[in-house]
Amino acid sequence: MLGWEFPPLINGGLGIACLGLGRAIAKHVDLTFILPQTDPSYLVDRVNLVGLNHLTEQDLETMFQTEELQSFAEVDLIAANLQPYLDAAPETSERLQTENKTITPYVKFKDDTGLALFADQGSLYGEDLNTRVVAYARAAAALADNRDFDIIHAHDWMTFLAGMEIKARTGKPLVLHVHSLSYDRAGPEARGWIFDIEKEAMEAADLIIPVSQYTGTICADHYGIDHSKIHPVHNGADPVKAFRSEKTFPEKLVLFLGRVTGQKGPRFFLEIAAKVLEQNRNVRFVMAGTGERLRELIEYGAFRDVGDRLHFTGFLNRDKVNELLSMTDVYCMPSVSEPFGLSALEAVQFDIPAVISHQSGVAEVLTKARKADYWDVDKMAAHIIELISDDKAHAEAVAASREDQQNCTWDQAALKVIALYASQLATEK
Amino acid sequence: MPELCLYFQVHQPNRLKNYTFFDIGKDPFYENDELNRDILSTVSDRSYLPANSLFTELIEAHPGKVKLTLSLSGVVLEQLEHHRPDVLASFQDLVATGAVELLCETYYHSLCYRASGKEFTRQVEKQMETLKRLFNKTPTVFRHTELIYFNELAAFVEELGFKAQLAEGIEHVLNGRSPNHLYQSPNLESMKTILRNNTLSDDLAFRFADPHWKGYPLTPKTYAQWVKASGGDLVGIFLDYETIGEHIERPSGIFRFWKELPAALEAQNITMTTPSEALEKFESAGEYDCPEITSWADTAKDISAWRSNPMQEEAKAKILSLEKAVKAHDNPELLHQWSKMQTSDHFYYMCTKGGTDGEVHKHFNPYASPYDAYLTFMNALSDLQIRVGL
Repeated sequence: MLGWEFPPLINGGLGIACLGLGRAIAKHVDLTFILPQTDPSYLVDRVNLVGLNHLTEQDLETMFQTEELQSFAEVDLIAANLQPYLDAAPETSERLQTENKTITPYVKFKDDTGLALFADQGSLYGEDLNTRVVAYARAAAALADNRDFDIIHAHDWMTFLAGMEIKARTGKPLVLHVHSLSYDRAGPEARGWIFDIEKEAMEAADLIIPVSQYTGTICADHYGIDHSKIHPVHNGADPVKAFRSEKTFPEKLVLFLGRVTGQKGPRFFLEIAAKVLEQNRNVRFVMAGTGERLRELIEYGAFRDVGDRLHFTGFLNRDKVNELLSMTDVYCMPSVSEPFGLSALEAVQFDIPAVISHQSGVAEVLTKARKADYWDVDKMAAHIIELISDDKAHAEAVAASREDQQNCTWDQAALKVIALYASQLATEK
Repeated sequence: MPELCLYFQVHQPNRLKNYTFFDIGKDPFYENDELNRDILSTVSDRSYLPANSLFTELIEAHPGKVKLTLSLSGVVLEQLEHHRPDVLASFQDLVATGAVELLCETYYHSLCYRASGKEFTRQVEKQMETLKRLFNKTPTVFRHTELIYFNELAAFVEELGFKAQLAEGIEHVLNGRSPNHLYQSPNLESMKTILRNNTLSDDLAFRFADPHWKGYPLTPKTYAQWVKASGGDLVGIFLDYETIGEHIERPSGIFRFWKELPAALEAQNITMTTPSEALEKFESAGEYDCPEITSWADTAKDISAWRSNPMQEEAKAKILSLEKAVKAHDNPELLHQWSKMQTSDHFYYMCTKGGTDGEVHKHFNPYASPYDAYLTFMNALSDLQIRVGL
C-alpha cells in the first residue's frame, strides 16, 4: 500500500482510515505500507511499515538503480505552491505549525533522491507539497523495484503518482482508494495539478475503491471514469472508549466537529443554529475545529446575535474531543461534499444521534439517521429541534444508529477489498 | 496668554483569563489575576511611580505654579489597593500636595450610559465614594470613559451636579473656532465643556518619540512656544498617564521633558491651571453643539474603537442586557463581576481595525486576535448568564 498520512504522526481522517483498513487487511495478506513518514516506535500488527524518514541501510543501498523514471521522465518544471489544506488562523489552532522556510518556485526532477524532504516530522503539507509528492513517488517506486508483490494499492492523490509509476514499471494491477477528491475539498469547478493527477490515475487504474457510493458517483460523473471499475467500500470505525459525562450547563448541546472549511458546511451549521435558537433557547451549539473560514464565521455568529449560544473552541486534542462528545446531545454534519464522514460514526459510538447531509458517504451507512440536503437549513433545524425536545425520539435515534453501526467494521471492509483484489487478479490471469 | 490645563488618565482593566467553552457552568472566576497584577506592576514601575515622584518634586520646586489633574478609574484603584498599595500611597501623597485636582468618571471605566442611566449613575456614585475614601476628595468635574462626550450625556452629567465635563476638541464641531476656550453644550443651565487640544496633546501622546516626525526631537522650550502660539484662554493637554514612561519609554527623554517643562512654561509666562480654577476665571466662548458621540480614541475620535464590528456590538449589548437579572440577585460580588465586564477595554480588544489604530490597540492586550477576545468574553458571559438564571 502507498499512503500519505498515518498515525501517530498525522491523525486526520485519511491516516485513521489507512490504519484501520491496513490492520484489518493484514490479517489476510502480506502487507507493506510505504509512507513518507513513520514513527519507528509505532508498530502495527502484521503490517510492514516503511517510512521514507526511517529507511534501512539495505533499502538505501539498493534504491534508485532503475535507469529512468517512466511516468514523469518527460516533465521538467511544474508550478509549485499548492495548498490543499489552507492553514487555520494561528491563534485558534493548537496544532503544531510547521513552515518550510525555503521556497522553491519550481520543482526540478532528476536531482538528488529528495529523501531529505521527509526528515522533519509533521511537515507533509505546505507550500512545497508537490515537491514531496514527486519525491515520494520516486522513492516509493525505487523501493518497489526490490520487492515482490501482487497488488499496488494507493490512498488518495498524493500517492497516485507513485502508483502509476510502479504500475508502469511492473505491470502489476493498480488499485486506487479514494478517500477524498479535489471535487470535495476545492469544489466542482477546481482544476489544476491535483485534479489532473486524480483523473489521469483513475483512468490508468484497474480498480477504484471510493469510500462511498456518493464518491463513486463523483468519480464516474465528474471525472468521467468507467463505472465498471468503480467499487465502493465503506469505511469502518474502530471501537472507541465511549463514555457519557454530565454537562456543566442546563442546555442541550449540538456539536459540529471538523475543519472549518467550505467543504464541511460550517456556514450552514451557523444558519441551522440561528434557526433552532429562534424556536428553542434551551440549546448550545459548539463548533470544534479550525480552518480558514473561522474568523468570518465568528463575526457572522455575532452578527446573527447567537454568540452566547454558539461557541467556537478552535482546534481540540483527542481527549478534549472525547470530553466534548461525552456531553453532546446531537451531532450535526452539514457537509457540502463528504466522501465518508467518519466523525458521525464516532459520535454514534458516544450514543449521539447524527443529523447529516445527503451529500455524505456516511448517510449510506447510517440508514436511519435524520438527513437533509446541506443547504436545507429549515429541515436540518427541524431535525435538531425534534431530537433536543423529544427524549423518546432521541432514544430511538440512538438505538437505530447503533444498529447501523454494527455493520461498519474494518474487518468487513477488508473482506470486501480482498474480494476485489481476488477478482482483479483472476482477470489478469 | 493661554493657561495650560494638564490632565492625566490612570486606568487598567481587569483582563480575562483564557476562559474556554469547557469552563462554562463550572468556573465562576473570569479574570487573569496574575496577568493583571504583572501588568499593573510593570506600568507602576515604568510609569506611575517615577511620574508621581517627578511631579511631587516639581510641585515642591515650583510652589503654586505646577498643577495637574488626575482621574483614576475605580478598577485601577481597586487593583492598586490589592496588588500595589505602595503605588496607591504614592498617588495619595501626590494628591495630598494640594496641587492636584481629581476628576470623577464611571467606576468601571464603562460604556453603559445609553443602555441605562441608572447603572451609569450607580457607577458615578461608587466612584465618588471611592475617591472620598481614598483621597478625601469630592470632584466637581467629570470625564467619561476615553473622553466620550455628546450633548445628551452632557445634559445627564449636569443633572448629576457636575460643573464641567471634559471632551475631545472635535474640529468639525468647533467649525473653525479654537479648542482653547470653555464652551457650553446647548440647553444646559451652566455646566461647561473643557476641550482637549488634540494637536498639542497628541504631540506628547503619540509623536514625541517618532524620529520621522518633523517636530522631533521636541524640547520643552519649543513646546512652550507652541502652547503660547496656540492662543485662547486655556490649552487642554489631556493624556494617558502611561504615556510617561510606558507608551513613550524612558530612553526617549520623556521624563526629562516633563521635568524641564514647568521652567520652560514659566519662561513663556504660561501659568498652569486646573479645571475648577479655569471655571472661576473664564467665561464660555459659545455653544459646543455635539449631538454625535465623540471620544479621544483612535484617529476617528469617535466610538468606533469599541463599536465598529458585530462582535463588539453583540458583546456590549449582551453584557448590558443582564442588568435586571444581575440586580435581582442582590449579590454584591455578582454585581461587581458583571460591572467589571462592562469595562471598555474588553470591547477595545475586539476591535478589528488595522493601521496605526490597530497598533495602539495592542497595548496591554492579552489576546492574539480580536476574535479570541470576543470568544473568551462570550464564554465568560455565557457563564454569567447561567449564574443569573438566564
